[in-house]
Amino acid sequence: MPGLSFENFQRNEYLVNQAGFKPPRATSTGTTIVGCRFKDGVVIAADTRATTGPIVADKNCEKLHRISPKIWCAGAGTAADTEMVTQLIQSNLELHSMSLNREPRVVSAMQMLKQHLFKYQGQVGAYLIVAGVDPTGPHLFSIQAHGSTDIGYYMSLGSGSLAAIAVLERDWKQDLSKDEAMKLCATAIQAGIFNDLGSGSNVDMCVMEMGKDAQLYRSFMTPNVREKKQRNYKFARGTTAVLRQSVFDIVEVVKEEEIPVGSSDAMDVDH
Amino acid sequence: MCSTQKSLMATEYSTEVRMEPIEHRFNPYQDNGGTILGIAGEDFAVLAGDTRQTVGYSIDSRYEPKVHDVGDNLLLSANGFSADGVELVKVFESQLKWYHFDNNKKMLVHSAARLIQHMLYKKRMFPYYVSTILAGLDEEGKGAVYSFDPVGSYEREQCRAGGAAASLIMPFLDNQVNFKHQMDPESKGTKRRPLKYLSLDEVIELVRDAFSSATERHIEVGDGLQILIVTKDGVRKEYYPLKRD
Amino acid sequence: MDSINVDVGHLKKGEISMGTSIMAVTFKDGVILGADSRTTSGSYVANRVTDKLTELQDNIWCCRSGSAADTQAVADIVRYQLDLFKTMNGRSPSTRLSASIFQEICYNNKDSLTAGIICAGYDKGKGGQVFTVPLGGSMHQHEYAISGSGSVFIYGYCKENYKPDMTKQETIDFMKTSLSQAIRWDGSSGGVIRMVLLTADGVERLIFYPEEYNEELKD
Repeated sequence: MPGLSFENFQRNEYLVNQAGFKPPRATSTGTTIVGCRFKDGVVIAADTRATTGPIVADKNCEKLHRISPKIWCAGAGTAADTEMVTQLIQSNLELHSMSLNREPRVVSAMQMLKQHLFKYQGQVGAYLIVAGVDPTGPHLFSIQAHGSTDIGYYMSLGSGSLAAIAVLERDWKQDLSKDEAMKLCATAIQAGIFNDLGSGSNVDMCVMEMGKDAQLYRSFMTPNVREKKQRNYKFARGTTAVLRQSVFDIVEVVKEEEIPVGSSDAMDVDH
Repeated sequence: MCSTQKSLMATEYSTEVRMEPIEHRFNPYQDNGGTILGIAGEDFAVLAGDTRQTVGYSIDSRYEPKVHDVGDNLLLSANGFSADGVELVKVFESQLKWYHFDNNKKMLVHSAARLIQHMLYKKRMFPYYVSTILAGLDEEGKGAVYSFDPVGSYEREQCRAGGAAASLIMPFLDNQVNFKHQMDPESKGTKRRPLKYLSLDEVIELVRDAFSSATERHIEVGDGLQILIVTKDGVRKEYYPLKRD
Repeated sequence: MDSINVDVGHLKKGEISMGTSIMAVTFKDGVILGADSRTTSGSYVANRVTDKLTELQDNIWCCRSGSAADTQAVADIVRYQLDLFKTMNGRSPSTRLSASIFQEICYNNKDSLTAGIICAGYDKGKGGQVFTVPLGGSMHQHEYAISGSGSVFIYGYCKENYKPDMTKQETIDFMKTSLSQAIRWDGSSGGVIRMVLLTADGVERLIFYPEEYNEELKD
């Protein structure tokens, strides 16, 4: 059966409502992601912190996903959903572009994503910024989990989106250069990293420019390198308790006895 | 959380909620994050805390000191709901003042601990939402750390972490201060590593590593670390910056 | 919510909504659609430059209000159906047909949709036409229509000031004043005023910035 499995729905319903069971928490990318257009391209950026509640689950996770070589997307919301929905659309877009024998378009990716997300009525918790270049030019879209889309020159999403949009609204201007756009995105992400507890660690960035290969800058900025620890926590040999000791032979050694061929003594049994 | 509230919970695994009327009431409590840590040495005690104050995903302040030198060589910190923490320390300071007027002598650390128990239990039905740690020197001049639950249950310990990242720091302390799960290397893993008092420098190193590590993995911990050290010569303060993300 | 009592305030948790001010007005030469540009998620303005005027065919457009996701999905389906109609029948679909498709979808899925739509179009035979498809999935034709959360503030103004067969400039001024007042009094509406003019000359887009439409921002 294709699609999602709902076979445990009734059981989980019972566990949550009747048995007083706490459901497991999915890893959410309490995130800051931004996107910004420039003269003939578009840039997206993200922080690299993933959280489960107040605990940092991953200090350097990748929130920038490739949909096609020149269409990338930044994801916020439920980590698994952003990852899987991106992979699904990546496959379908590739098949689509092969059957049409054309380069994939950003609007196609956006339309496929929004139709998928709308179908699941917000249950698939993916909030995405989709960007890329195609034969029709550079494009930048945002998609909400319920399936609505927005177009813009600059945008931010995730728990740090308010900190980021403050920077974008303050510094954005029409016809930015590529370097200006990259700098603006990095500043916006840093605003999220430092002012939103759900965001942190490094800045990842992806630049898509007309007529050029997309450039992924993993760890474009690392403003949160950990200082050296004060002490050394290497344990001396013998620190671990020895409770039991047993020695095994890994290979069982079988003694071989050589019997000379044609020896009458060996064959002679009835003495 | 009571069982009727559970049935009103919609999760990503179950969308159905019972259609009972929901009671809306003012919630007098808040979680302001942060973590504190106290360690007792042979002739000193330290009480440390980060200086970040949060609510939800926002930072209210990057420098709001919560470890207090309350006088009489006593250090006090109440972590959790910061308004309650501030209130508790204020009431304690006032009580200490009256103790001086009435008795004309310094309050000993075990007396302070018992006083705090009564202050906390007085609000048994509407508690201070805090985990409290008191540090000082006992009558013999040895370091003392007392830790309290929100309603006054307390215990003297060698070390204790409280607040948001307590569960991250406490196992580290068990291992590094009380040498739990450590054998004497000389004995090739057959005899427990003998306990010994750590020096002040070692303790400060441990505290700094505990907080920088908690900052890495807990989003509500960071910005700055204040360490208050109490010795027979009085109270000394140190400050170290922590990561701000 | 059941099929009889439709919960107007019903939105899925965290859903993006367009607490909107939208209108469409017929006039001498055709029809004009107008809208504000604010999209909100609770009290947060998720987009301040939204385009709520959506093209279905060259000469048929709609104004969307309610859930952004729902109205976009429905408009996409209607556009697809109209394109299909055009290729199958070799002629352009009418404004009424467009509104009828909206009506059908909104009626059949009324339990899961939060969509209030104004559908307007121009064709040589019938000139400018305006249809509304409100929440329950009914369809009504009007000379002019207002909708969205901001519309409640301008019912009186519009009733007093609308005249049939206005000139283009009169209609634009009428709509600019109406929408500016809807935006003025409705917290969920804001941003710029967008307009789309549908006449025999084709499509014309207009945009008015707050400095221009808002009297209080002028010196």
